[in-house]
Amino acid sequence: MSENVALSRRKMIKGAGALALGAAAGLAPISKATAARGKAPRWAFIVDLRRCTGCRTCTVACKAEMNTPLGAFRAAVYDQVVGTFPKTEKHFLPRLCNHCEGNKEDGIPPCIKDCPEYPKDRRQFITPEGKKIRYRGGATYKRPDGMVLYENELCTGCGKCIKACPYGARSWDKLLISGKDSTKNGIAKCTFCQHRVDNGVVPSCVNMCPQKARIFGDLNDPNSQVSKLVKEFGLLENRDKNTLLPKENTVPMLFYIDPRGALMKMANARKKFEKEEAWVDQIT
Amino acid sequence: MKRDISRRDLIKLGAASAAVMATGKVGGSSALAGTVDLAAGGKDFSPQTGAERKMIPSACWSCVTRDSMIGFVEDGRLVKLEGNPNSIRGRGKICSKGASGINQLYDPDRILYPMKRVGKRGEGKWKRISWDEALTDLAARLKKLRDEGHPEKFMFHYGRMKASSSKIIKSVFLANYGTKTIGNHTSICEGAKWTAQELTWGKHYDNWDFDNTKFVLNFGSGVLEAHTNHIPTCQRLGDAMVDRGVKMYTFDVRLSNTAAKSTEWLPVKPGTDGAIALAMCNVIMQAGLYDKEFFKFIRATKDPNASTAAKVAALKSHLAQYTPEWAEKVSTVPAAKIKSLALEFAKTKPACVISYRGAVAHYHGADTERAVQMLAAITGNIDNPGGRCRAVGAKWKYPKGPKKKPKAKALKIAQGFPGTIAYPTHGANHQVLKMIKDGRAGRPEVYMWYCYTPVYANGECQENIDILKDESLIPFTVCVNAYYDESAALADMILPNPSYLEWWDYEDMVSPTQVPEYYIRQPLVKPLGESRDFKDVVCDLANRMGFPLGFNSAEEFVKMSCEKTPAVKAAGGFEYMKKHGVYHDPKAKPKYYGYKKAVKPDALKKDGVIFDKATGVYWNWHKSKAKSEAEAKEKGYTKTKNAYKGYIGQEIGGKVYAGFKPDKVNKSGYFEVYSELLEMKKFPALPSYVPIPEHKKMSANDLILTTYKVPVHIHSRSANCKWLTEIYHDNPAMINTRTAKRLGIKDGDKIKVKSEAGEITTTANVTEAVVPGVVAISHHVGHWEYGRYASGKKSPLAAGDDSDFKLKWWTKKGVHPNWIIPNKPDPISGQQRWMDTVVKVRKA
Amino acid sequence: MGNTEKAQRMAVARQRSNIYGLLASVYRQEVTADLLHQVKDPQFLGVLSDLGLQLASDFFQKPEEELLSDLAVEYARLFLGPGKHVSPHESVQHQKGDGQGGLLWGESTAEVKRFIESTGLSYNSEYTGLPDHISVELEFMQQLTLREEQAWREEDEDGALDCLRTERKFIEEHLIRWVPFFCDKVTREAELPFYREMAALTKNFIEFEREEVEGYAGDLK
Repeated sequence: MSENVALSRRKMIKGAGALALGAAAGLAPISKATAARGKAPRWAFIVDLRRCTGCRTCTVACKAEMNTPLGAFRAAVYDQVVGTFPKTEKHFLPRLCNHCEGNKEDGIPPCIKDCPEYPKDRRQFITPEGKKIRYRGGATYKRPDGMVLYENELCTGCGKCIKACPYGARSWDKLLISGKDSTKNGIAKCTFCQHRVDNGVVPSCVNMCPQKARIFGDLNDPNSQVSKLVKEFGLLENRDKNTLLPKENTVPMLFYIDPRGALMKMANARKKFEKEEAWVDQIT
Repeated sequence: MKRDISRRDLIKLGAASAAVMATGKVGGSSALAGTVDLAAGGKDFSPQTGAERKMIPSACWSCVTRDSMIGFVEDGRLVKLEGNPNSIRGRGKICSKGASGINQLYDPDRILYPMKRVGKRGEGKWKRISWDEALTDLAARLKKLRDEGHPEKFMFHYGRMKASSSKIIKSVFLANYGTKTIGNHTSICEGAKWTAQELTWGKHYDNWDFDNTKFVLNFGSGVLEAHTNHIPTCQRLGDAMVDRGVKMYTFDVRLSNTAAKSTEWLPVKPGTDGAIALAMCNVIMQAGLYDKEFFKFIRATKDPNASTAAKVAALKSHLAQYTPEWAEKVSTVPAAKIKSLALEFAKTKPACVISYRGAVAHYHGADTERAVQMLAAITGNIDNPGGRCRAVGAKWKYPKGPKKKPKAKALKIAQGFPGTIAYPTHGANHQVLKMIKDGRAGRPEVYMWYCYTPVYANGECQENIDILKDESLIPFTVCVNAYYDESAALADMILPNPSYLEWWDYEDMVSPTQVPEYYIRQPLVKPLGESRDFKDVVCDLANRMGFPLGFNSAEEFVKMSCEKTPAVKAAGGFEYMKKHGVYHDPKAKPKYYGYKKAVKPDALKKDGVIFDKATGVYWNWHKSKAKSEAEAKEKGYTKTKNAYKGYIGQEIGGKVYAGFKPDKVNKSGYFEVYSELLEMKKFPALPSYVPIPEHKKMSANDLILTTYKVPVHIHSRSANCKWLTEIYHDNPAMINTRTAKRLGIKDGDKIKVKSEAGEITTTANVTEAVVPGVVAISHHVGHWEYGRYASGKKSPLAAGDDSDFKLKWWTKKGVHPNWIIPNKPDPISGQQRWMDTVVKVRKA
Repeated sequence: MGNTEKAQRMAVARQRSNIYGLLASVYRQEVTADLLHQVKDPQFLGVLSDLGLQLASDFFQKPEEELLSDLAVEYARLFLGPGKHVSPHESVQHQKGDGQGGLLWGESTAEVKRFIESTGLSYNSEYTGLPDHISVELEFMQQLTLREEQAWREEDEDGALDCLRTERKFIEEHLIRWVPFFCDKVTREAELPFYREMAALTKNFIEFEREEVEGYAGDLK
C-alpha cells in the first residue's frame, strides 16, 4: 500500500479491492516503467473525442466508484448540437478535473493557491523505487506526480477552491461535512482515482469506457500510451487547441484529441466551460 | 401523545408490555438467535474491519445484450459492477445501464414480499401474503383450468426471457402444464427485422462483423448507443472507425449519437429507408457491381433453377422503377448521394449493411429489411468476414423435464387479428389486450406477466389500463416483478422476483467474433427479503400441481446443463463456470459461409427424406405435420405445415448445399430475395416499396411521430436507477427549427401532440438535429409508477425518505409518447408501427 | 453500588426489555390476533392512555377479522408497499453522509449486522427480512437489556455495565439517528390510530432511552 497520502481507511480498502481485480482479472495495469527510474510519475489524462460516443458510462462509473451524491458530478459529459440542418453536428465533451500543473511562474494551480489551509504540513512522496520526494500538503494540494487532491479532514468548507477553479471542476458534496467546520459541507472533485492508481490500476472511468476514449498514464514513461498519443497528436505543443480555457494559464494535464475541432465549436456555440456553469450531466 | 416519557411511565409501560409479551406468541418469530456474549460485546464495531471485496463473475441483464460482468461484494453487499475482462464478447466492458444495476438491486421501492390486492383492482390497497398462500392459491387456479381441459386459459406473457430462463419456464414448465397461450414482446421491439430475416436467410438474428469490415451503411440503428448486442458491437465499430478509418454512413430521422459519430448523417423521412435501399440495389445492379458468385445462392425469380443471368435480369428489371431520383422524392436524401454511396458500398469489400428499428418499425417494415438484406446479398456481403453474418451463440444442452408432455393448447390471441398479418413469426403481442377485449378468440382466465409491462410498453396506454382493469374481461391477473410499475398496479397478485443480480442462468447471447461464448449469471447476493426467482417458483408450482420437472431450482438446472453441455463439461463444468463466468474454445475458428457446406450424401438417404422439385429442397417429411409421404409429396415442401423443420439441404446446379436453413417458415435453402411465401399471401415477391397509407393522406401541417432511445436508459425498466434518471429524466419533443417556426412554436413551449389515439401535452425541443416534418419523442420516461425516481412523485411518503433523495434536484419526469401511438401491426410481420404515427402539433 | 440500586437497575432493565420486545413485535409483522387481544386489554389501554396515547376506543369496536384485515392493509401501505411506503430499514432512512443513502442494504446495514453479530447473536436462518429492519434493531435492544438484567441478577456488575455500554453505543450510532425521523413519517402517514400512536410511542421511547441510558451508564468511563 502506498504511503503517499492519508487516505481514509475505507478508501484504502477499496483500493485494495481494485488491486485484487487488476491481478485476478488480468486488467492492464498502469505501466511500471517508472519503477526503474525512481522519478515520480507525471500523470496525464487524454480524452479521445474521436472515440467518445456520449454514452455516459464514465459518468456512472464515477458515481459508482465515488458514491457521489445526486446533483454533483466528478465526471460528466456535455452534448452540443452545432450547425444548421442538414449539416448538423453533435459533439460530446467528457469533463473532469484538469489536474493542472499551474502556471509557469509558481506552478501552483488556482484552487490550491486560494486554499487557506495550504500549505500546511510537509509530506513525502515515495516513488515506486523507494525514493523520497518532499512536498507540501494542505486541505488541497498537489502531489509530485501531478495529482491535485483534497483532504476533507483539513478542509474548513470555505469554498474558495470551488470559486477559484476556472473550470467549475469542484463542487460541494452535500452529504459530506467539512473536517474543520461541522456547519459547512466538504467538497468533491475528481481525484484521478488515486486509490486505484496508487495500487497500480487505472481510474474507474478509464477502465469502464467501452470505447477506450479515456486514456490515463505516465508521461515520464516513453512507452506509455499517453506518451505515444501526446507525441502523435502534439498535445503538449498545442495546449491552446487541446485543452480547455488555455488563456487561464492553468496548464491542464487533461488533453483532448480533437481532430474535428469540437472544443472550438462547442465554445462558439454555448458552452464556456467556466465555473459559472453547474456541472450537471444532462442529455437533452 | 404527550411529549416526554418519565421514569414512572417507563415502569408502567414496561409492566404492561411484560403482560403483553408474556403470552409468548404475539410478536411472531424473532429474527435473532443465541444470547448476548459479554466477552464479545462492547468491542470495536468499526465498519472498516475486515471489509474485503469478493469478486463474483456473473452476467448483466439490463438489456438483452447480457454482457458478462463481475460483481464486487463487500460485507454481503454488492458495491460495484464491472465488465468481465475474460469475455470475448464484452472484453471487460459494460455500459452505463449495466453499471447502474446496483440501483435496481437496492431500489428502496423494491417489492420484497408476495402481495395480494384488497379492494378493487387498481385501487392500490394491498396485503402481504406468504409464499405458501400465494402458490396454493395460484396452483389451485391453474390446476383447475388444466383439469377442466383448458390449460390454454392460462396466459403467460413475458418481456425478456432468454437462455435458461426461457427453457425452464417455457420449454419445460409451460409445456408440461399444457398452455401455448404465451406472449412475448418482439413485436414492440424488432419483429419486422426478424421476420424479414427468416423469409430471406432463415434465422432471425444477424451479427455485424465490424472487426473485419471496411465500410458500414446504417439504416436506422443506434448501434453506438443502444443496440441489442450493444457493448460487444459498439466497441468493435469504434475501433474500426478510429483505428482503421472505416467509414459509416447513417440514415436516420434524428441526429442520434450514432449518426453524430458517423462519417455522415443522412437525414431521412420516416418510413422511407426501404426506398433508399431499393434505389441503391438498382444503382449497383445497373453498374454491374453485383457479386456473381453469391448470386448462385440467391433466389430472385419464381423459377428456383434460373441461371445467374436470368436472376440478374429479373432483379434489374424489378429495380428499374426505383431510381435514385425517385428515392430522393420519397426520402429527401439527394439522388447523387444515394448513387455515390451505392457505388462505394458495392466497391468496398467487405462492407456491412446494418439496420434496426428506425428502418423496420413501420408499416411494411419487413419489406424494408428485405430490401436491406438484398443490398447485402447482391454485393456478396452475407455471412462473410466483414459483412452481415448469421448469428453464432452458445448451444447449451439442458434437462428437458418429463418425457411425456401433454398436447399443449393455445388461445389464438398473440398473433394479431385473423387475416391481418401474413407471417407473425414473433407475434403481434401489442394487440393481445385488444384481442382479449374483442373476445372472439377467447379470453384467458389467468393472465400472468413476467419482465413485462403491458400498460407502459405498448401503445395506447389508456386502453391497456382500461382492459387490464376490467375484471369481467380478465378474471385474475398476476404480475411477476421486483418493482411496482404501471402494470403491477393492476395485478391481483404480485410475486416478488429478485433483481437479475440475485438469480441463476446460463447464457448464450450472440458473439461478435463468430465464436460461441458460454457464460452464466450467478447470484451476487442472496435474494433480498422474500423475493424468489420465478424459475424456482415454477418448479414449486409444478410440484404442487403434480408434475415435477426433474429439477427443483434454477441453480440445479444450470448445474445440470453445465454437465450436459460437452464443451462446458470438458472445461470443468459448473465449478469452472462459477469461478470464471465465461468459456469459449480457444481453438475455435470463426464461423462464416456455413451455407456453402455440402450436405453429405448419407443425410439424403435417411428415412423420410424426399426431394421437392418445385424448390430444390431435400427435406424429411416425418418432421412436418404431413401424415404420409404421399401427402407430403402432393402438398409439396412449401405448402406442408412445419415442413421447414425437416429441411436437409438445397440442391443448386446438381450439388446439395447446407444453404440458408429455414427456422420459422417453409422457405427454401436459397437466400430468398424472391419470396414465394409472400407471393402466396398476395404481397410482392421481390422487395418493394409500399408507401404508408396514412402518410398519403397527410395535410400540410401534419407531422410524423417517431420514438427513439437514449444511451442511458433501457426501454421501460431503468427509470428507477437514480444515476441514470439524474442524467435523463425529461424527454421534450424534438421538432426541427423550420417546422417549429411554421407552427409558431418556440423552444421550451408547451405543446399538444394529437394522434388518432389521443393527445399528450409536452414540451418542444426546437432543434436542428431532426428532420423537418417530424416530432421525435424518446420512450423511457414519463412514468406514473415505478418508484420515487421514475414517477417523480414527491409524495409525502417518499419525500425526505433518504439523504440522497433529498438532493434530487430535478422535478421533471417527462411525458410518455405511447399514450398516443396506436397499436397497429405491419401487415407482413406484425411489428408495432412505432415510427409512422401521423400527429397534429400545436402550441398548448 | 448498593444492593437496592442494583435491584432497581435490574428492574429497569427488565422493563426496558419488555418495551423493546413489544415495539419489535409491532413492526415485525402484521398485527396478530394475539397481539390484538393483548392491546385491547383494558389494563394495557389504560397505561397507554396515561401516556397520552389516543387509541380511539371505537376503533376496537369493529369485528376482529375486519380489524385485523384493516391493520394488515395499513401495515402493507406503511411498511411494505408495493409502491410508496415508509421504508422500515435503517439504510434507507439513515441520514448519513456517504452518498449511499436511500438504498436497501447500504453500508449501515452491514454495520448493524456486524454490530449485532459482534455481541454473539446471529440471525435466524428462517429470518427473511433485511438485517437493519426496525424490528431487528428493537429486538436486539430487547436482547441486550435482557442480558443486562441477568448480569444484575448474577451480581455481575462489570457485565451489566458492559451491556449498558453496548446499549448506549447502539442507541447513539443507530437507533437515535433514524428511528425518531422514521416514526415522524409513520405518524404523519398512518391512517389508523394504532400505528400512528405506536410510532409516536416508539419515538418518545427512543428519545427517552438516549437520555436515560446516559444516566444508567453515568458511572461508565
